[in-house]
Amino acid sequence: MTRLVLILCLLLTSAAAGAAGAQERNRTLVTALSSDMVSIQSNFTGTDIAIFGQASDIQRQPNAPGGYDLVIVVEGPPQDITTRRKGRFLGVWVNREAERFQDVPSFYAVASTGPIGDLADRSLLDELGIGLNHINLAVSGSSNVALADRDDFRKAFVRLRQEMGLYSEKTSSIEFLTETMFRTTIPLPANIPVGTYKVKSSLFHQGELLSQTQQSLAVAKIGFEQITFELAQDFPLFYGLLAVSLAIFTGWLAGVIFKKD
Amino acid sequence: MARIIGPEAISCSLFRRNPVQLYLPIAEIPVNIFVIFGMGGAVGFLSGLFGIGGGFLLTPLLIFSGIPPAVSVATVTTQVVASSASAVVSYWRRKAIDLKLATVLLAGGVLGSLIGVILFQVLESVGQLDVVISLSYVTFLGAIGGLMLFESVRAIRRRKLGTAPKARKPGQHNWIHGLPLKMRFRRSKLYVSVIPVVGLGAIIGFLGTILGIGGGFMMVPALIYLLRVPTGIVIGTSLFQILFTMAAATIFHAMGTKTVDIVLAITLMVGGVIGAQFGARMGQNLRGDQLRLLLALLVLGVGMRFAVDLLLVPDDLYSIAIRKGAGA
Repeated sequence: MTRLVLILCLLLTSAAAGAAGAQERNRTLVTALSSDMVSIQSNFTGTDIAIFGQASDIQRQPNAPGGYDLVIVVEGPPQDITTRRKGRFLGVWVNREAERFQDVPSFYAVASTGPIGDLADRSLLDELGIGLNHINLAVSGSSNVALADRDDFRKAFVRLRQEMGLYSEKTSSIEFLTETMFRTTIPLPANIPVGTYKVKSSLFHQGELLSQTQQSLAVAKIGFEQITFELAQDFPLFYGLLAVSLAIFTGWLAGVIFKKD
Repeated sequence: MARIIGPEAISCSLFRRNPVQLYLPIAEIPVNIFVIFGMGGAVGFLSGLFGIGGGFLLTPLLIFSGIPPAVSVATVTTQVVASSASAVVSYWRRKAIDLKLATVLLAGGVLGSLIGVILFQVLESVGQLDVVISLSYVTFLGAIGGLMLFESVRAIRRRKLGTAPKARKPGQHNWIHGLPLKMRFRRSKLYVSVIPVVGLGAIIGFLGTILGIGGGFMMVPALIYLLRVPTGIVIGTSLFQILFTMAAATIFHAMGTKTVDIVLAITLMVGGVIGAQFGARMGQNLRGDQLRLLLALLVLGVGMRFAVDLLLVPDDLYSIAIRKGAGA
């Protein structure tokens, strides 16, 4: 039902956009999210976000050379992440080398109509940051990793993020409902970080970027989870005292309830 | 009839339809509430059975089940507060606590705990926290477990042979009694230097904060063998000191590492205090030396588990840690 309403809305907006004039190329792509807010509560175990859209004035020819390609990237707020590699030291496995990746996306999911490599040139994909092989993974200046090993760290980083469900690349996961209307679902796992996410959709034609749209998606803890988290962050002394009082109360209560009969 | 559609079938279908997942606000992962509750209960049972805090079992269990080590350690300090609080109440009623001795131990404990939290943060930032936790577990559990095993086997043998242990001569002294700054502890009938007392408190507080353990299994033998505290007062005093040292550790962790997960702590506490009651009842039917033998094997087992992880080639050589930004 909500999907139907969404599609109707989209049709209306795209119609309005078309009426406004075709002189603006940006208008060829319109997208919308199934929800612009993901709330994390005590029963949160992950969710899906659906992205709907319409690419007007295109003649879609699936897999045909010279056709149109569509790619959608969902990107989480930036993080600094250290990747470490274990090595044997005195017979024990300990972390040895470390590489710090700066301002990398905390979440990164790509959905597309075809293989990422076929969309455009390497340089354009690198510039736009589209595809797991093209994300900008800047490293900090100080690092004890040998130059020859840098690529291993980069690969390990992406692999570990993929295993956690935080990075993904799904080609051919955009489904066309009509000739021009499309839809895709991006799963958001339970361990997603909170913050503002960017949803970028790009339309390519023969390796050339035709138009791009961007929406934002808020992921936030709400209710009890939010209060607890903020208390722990902003009033740590009070939070600690609260934890201790709760523990002492629980212990005392148990002592009273289970008093030797 | 009742058996066919018994609790098993009901819980099973309940589980499938609605797996009871609980999102932990600080650890930022969902966990199965029954699994956590069960862990708390099982460790509580063992702690009631053996008369121990159980932190050294609970922290590893949480780490092995996928809770981040920093959250596991900090949250177990809170759980230890709850489990020792219920025991302290009963020792308090029996007046089996040397308050003066406990206070001096506690002064050392708070100091040790503070140093522990600072070191914890430093180790975490250089990526060596996990290996230090593992190595410490191997060392301490190996040493204590080995000693306990040796002692309990000897006690069982002695009981079978029917020979009485050599009675300790009154007024026997060791090097500790030669230290300066002596203080009189009336309740324990002791006149000793405060240096070893504060030092002992500090070591236990330090290890407790780093490892997420109460340290009763180290404190009790130290009080008996090193300071010669009468056995009737040892457990109450040790528990009292652990209660307040771990309360301080919880607050230091909350302010420093910010990894105390209150939701996880409450789930563990409730499971723990219930399990402890059943354990305590069962423990009354077992002999002391048999209990100590079982406990020694348990302690050694946990230590071995850490040792295996340190020595075997890890499944994955790489690991990642968030340093800054969302979720750091």
